[in-house]
Amino acid sequence: MASVVRPNTWVALKLPSGISRVIQIAPNTTISLGKYGSFPANLIIGRPYHLTFELQDKLEGEDFSRLRIVPTTELYAEIFADEVSPGCSTPTAGANEAAIPTTADAEDYTLIDAETGNVVARSNLATAIDETARQTLTQDEIEELKRDGTNAGKDVIAKLLLSHTALDQKTSFSLAKYKLMKTKKYIRRFQVLPMDVANFANWQLEERDSSRILDMRAEMIGLVGCWGNAHYGGEDVFLEDPRASTEQGQEACAAVQEDLLRGRWLVVDDTCGMLVAALAERMGVLNPEYPDSDAEDSALSAAAAETATEESNTADAQPQQQQPDTEMADAQEDDGLHPTNPHNKPRPSDFAIPYSQTNTITVVHAASQPNLSFLNYWGFDHTAPNHPPHPLLSHLLTLSWLQLLQPSLDTSYSTPPLVATQQELAGWKPSRRGNFHRKRRRFARTRHVVDAARAGNFSGLICASTMDPISILKHALHLLAGGAPIAIYSPTVEPLAALADCFSVPRRTAWTSGQVAEIVGKSGEELERWAGSEDFPLNPTLLLGVSIQTSRARRWQVLPGRTHPLMMERGGAEGYVFTAWRAKPAEGRVEAKGKFKRRKTEPGAVAGAAEGDAEEVKAAAEEA
Amino acid sequence: MAPTTRQGISPFLEPGPRTKANSLAILQLSRDNFLPVHLQHATGEHDGYAEGVVVNTRFGSFPHSTMIGVPWGSQIRASKVDTGSRGRKRKRLPGDDAGRDENGNEVEADVAELEIETESAEPTTDTPSGPKQAIAASSGFVHVLPPTPEIWTTSLPHRTQVVYTPDYSYILHRIRARPGAVIIEAGAGSGSFSHASARAVYNGYPKEGERKGKVISFEYHEERYKKMKQELSQHGLEGIVHLTHRDVYKGGFLINDGESPEAEAVFLDLPAPWDALPALSRRRPEGAEGADESGKPWVSPLNSKKNAYICTFSPCIEQVTKTVSAMRRLGWVDIDMVEIANRKLHTARDRVGLNMPQDRGVNNSARDVEEAISKLAEIEEKFRQHARPSRSAANTSSKNGDDGKATSNGKGASREEETFTSSRPWADGRLIVRGEPEIKTHTSYLVFAILPREWSEEDEAAALAKYPLGQEQAVVGDMDKASRKKLRQELLKKQGDKKQKKKEKAEKLDEKMDETSG
Ligand SMILES: C[S@@+](CC[C@H](N)C(=O)[O-])C[C@H]1O[C@@H](n2cnc3c(N)ncnc32)[C@H](O)[C@@H]1O
Repeated sequence: MASVVRPNTWVALKLPSGISRVIQIAPNTTISLGKYGSFPANLIIGRPYHLTFELQDKLEGEDFSRLRIVPTTELYAEIFADEVSPGCSTPTAGANEAAIPTTADAEDYTLIDAETGNVVARSNLATAIDETARQTLTQDEIEELKRDGTNAGKDVIAKLLLSHTALDQKTSFSLAKYKLMKTKKYIRRFQVLPMDVANFANWQLEERDSSRILDMRAEMIGLVGCWGNAHYGGEDVFLEDPRASTEQGQEACAAVQEDLLRGRWLVVDDTCGMLVAALAERMGVLNPEYPDSDAEDSALSAAAAETATEESNTADAQPQQQQPDTEMADAQEDDGLHPTNPHNKPRPSDFAIPYSQTNTITVVHAASQPNLSFLNYWGFDHTAPNHPPHPLLSHLLTLSWLQLLQPSLDTSYSTPPLVATQQELAGWKPSRRGNFHRKRRRFARTRHVVDAARAGNFSGLICASTMDPISILKHALHLLAGGAPIAIYSPTVEPLAALADCFSVPRRTAWTSGQVAEIVGKSGEELERWAGSEDFPLNPTLLLGVSIQTSRARRWQVLPGRTHPLMMERGGAEGYVFTAWRAKPAEGRVEAKGKFKRRKTEPGAVAGAAEGDAEEVKAAAEEA
Repeated sequence: MAPTTRQGISPFLEPGPRTKANSLAILQLSRDNFLPVHLQHATGEHDGYAEGVVVNTRFGSFPHSTMIGVPWGSQIRASKVDTGSRGRKRKRLPGDDAGRDENGNEVEADVAELEIETESAEPTTDTPSGPKQAIAASSGFVHVLPPTPEIWTTSLPHRTQVVYTPDYSYILHRIRARPGAVIIEAGAGSGSFSHASARAVYNGYPKEGERKGKVISFEYHEERYKKMKQELSQHGLEGIVHLTHRDVYKGGFLINDGESPEAEAVFLDLPAPWDALPALSRRRPEGAEGADESGKPWVSPLNSKKNAYICTFSPCIEQVTKTVSAMRRLGWVDIDMVEIANRKLHTARDRVGLNMPQDRGVNNSARDVEEAISKLAEIEEKFRQHARPSRSAANTSSKNGDDGKATSNGKGASREEETFTSSRPWADGRLIVRGEPEIKTHTSYLVFAILPREWSEEDEAAALAKYPLGQEQAVVGDMDKASRKKLRQELLKKQGDKKQKKKEKAEKLDEKMDETSG
């Protein structure tokens, strides 16, 4: 993640009210914060995130506000004042205790000008400062104050505070609260936050439509990422371009090489791509890499601009998408006859596979197209036909459940690619030629994605889906490598409980002790692909360590003398995570042996150590 | 160590498809019972076992030879181990008798007491012949899993309190520990957090002079430092975790004699984080002593081009207060304090009913009102039948009362009548979810904060020159009424030369495209 705001990236502008405005920062635009004012985007581009800016009063002849960086000493001025006041003394860690005035009397309220450190107003001195302001201001008056609001809204706050008739009856606690409320409303400050996965998810959850990300809180994102073991899966490896001529069909496609496939996660995402983004971030393929210099941002501005061109045709990662402008782009670049390449790289052939064989995310989707629209916030448009460079282009593979399970029924997988001789091609209009190449590319890529997924051996399975997890596992379990972790998020516990019940001790016991007639005589291979029966929806011996958990972060306010948990937190769906590892059961009947808790005291008892139904013994051992 | 070859890659990061010798594997003995084992090839009889190195558990004996080269996740059958000379050679210890079952096999009563490393300490020299082929025992098994930070955290040799998965998963997410990041950690303790953060920042092993994701770890307790150092090497993590033996309160966070690790994330699990915070500044903190004496300029351990994310981990609220206060004074922003409550849930079948089998955990009382009524009616009926022949009221009524009780609690007639065993025990009763018998309600308080990179007047001037003002074309974001009106007016005014504008814009884009492709 960049530390400064790059042109055309999405950012969140956090306002004093706690509300975020999420916008794409385009150079040479004006950003309006409504009642807070407006300022040129160029004043925050290239500046670090997390600074607090203040909209300054408009200069003569300018119709926008310039910005001032608010130093932290100013942000914390009131807290520092509280810290040194008796009654709520806190260790100050040897920091310089500036001469910040404060009051000892709990009934007093002091308003400090943070810039100068001077006392602007004191509740019991109010008369001395502004006699008229003791009257409650009308809303109109407040509006007026705001309109010619100078000094970044601080004047309004001072006036409001002083005008509060019951001011001196208030305790300092409620006064602090009152002050905070007013500050939130009128102070003209904001902070620029990066749109990384954590901030995005938070915003989506708290301020937008939490149901679109299945109410997935940060705790859950962390848990599925760790339990799913999602991490960088190795250096990129690309298949060699088969350099197929246009006369060659399917037979010229590069075959999947199973030994090259490493560090791949199988993902089911019904959070509009938020889960994919979280995993991509963990794997290092969410954000374009830029050199660590200040000159970096010009490169990105071009890359992120929607109109950016691209030099090779490898970026056509979503061939299923048919967009009108594809025609032109393809026609231009896919002449095939006059290879013109600015970098003199050989142009990849139609059957070149643009996907890395390692460090990838394979998304299986239920509709004919995946919904990954949130990836737009990271400059990745899954539907764009002609995409500027982005790491997800070579690390995100998508296929439908039909393509995964019954590829022969899928047209784009099973329709053989078009072929044509060079002469034929030369005779075609450019748009037809473009079409021809695009279809061939689409074929090769679909073929690769489906074949690689069906080759299995995935390093993990991670889901946040509205589909029944039992059915997902029914079709995905056999695709996991031995020992691979599974992490399934669900906003509610019921689906996960039903899933865990498929692996209950009674089920495993029955299965391993030969009580299940349907499995007698079946090979281990057959049982790995167990299609499910009413009593045994899943082969109960294929998972280890099945557990369900939930986590919640309880947030605290930490202020001098006023530290306590927040009074309100988000309710709604709690969120649960199911975890397990993929087992490779030994063939034939395996009985457990258990000896526990009996030595020393009664030596004879050891002889009676249990041997028998594997799972019951282990379960008993757990309880012992 | 040259961890650049695939061979040397940590099993935590890339376990490969199968178990390997000289590498860490985790044996899952039962659901939550894991045993880390450093797998070793047998060169011959070992410690009295003809099969070479053997792991003994209460679930049987497992020679390493049966666990090497198998796919991860494999179920491993126990072996009938040949103790060979072992029984004879070993001095009989008190209580050894109890440790033997009737077959003369070794019995390890408590897995926790098992010390794998002593079992496999020295290779035996007195046996010229190779290891004996292991023979499967009739019962007993374990599963062999690839190591992950999650399993390691629950099975590592504890030397301190450790940070568990519910906390570290959240922390790593919030401090943006991502591939390629450099993260400072102190103290290393038992290495739980180190393993999890190593996986998070890993983006390949650095080649000579290359900068890659790294964990810069500190531990001042010498024994722990040494143990951890050894573990890192055994786990192939030396290239990822850089461990220094130091008191960070005094010595700070620079590495290799004064070099900045250029970190962008920090995790402090120390008793007094506020004492470590001043060293994590961007400039020489006020009151920092001694640093000047050498004449060397003060060096920040933080990356000057990145914002720094921090998390401190403290069990007590007083520590939090001090830490937060220090953070504010040192310019950290977005300070946020949370505690994580994690609960594990178990699923079970809640079996209630008069006709349920009399198993453990079954509640043999009426499942519902209907069942209660039919049972009661049944009792009444019996009572009437019973009462008819005999008229001596006093005795029989008390007798029958007893009968009634016995029947209704399910130990009487009903059981004899229909000795019920379910044919589908997994489907009996209602599926329920409940928490663990004990829950951890507090681990520690987590304080998060961010220290933005420095921004000087020169930086600002440079940025302003690069993105000059005055060419604003459109308004983005929400507008109040006044500005919306103004905009509309402007639009109307400009409508005349709109086409002209469009043209200009298109030209601009063309230029841009030229720039990019050039
Ligand atoms: C609670 S443990 C850390 C556990 C670790 N986070 C884990 O997950 O395994 C705290 C460690 O910090 C070390 N420590 C305490 N003060 C230190 C200091 N000033 N410098 C370096 N290490 C310190 C202690 O020796 C102890 O091992």
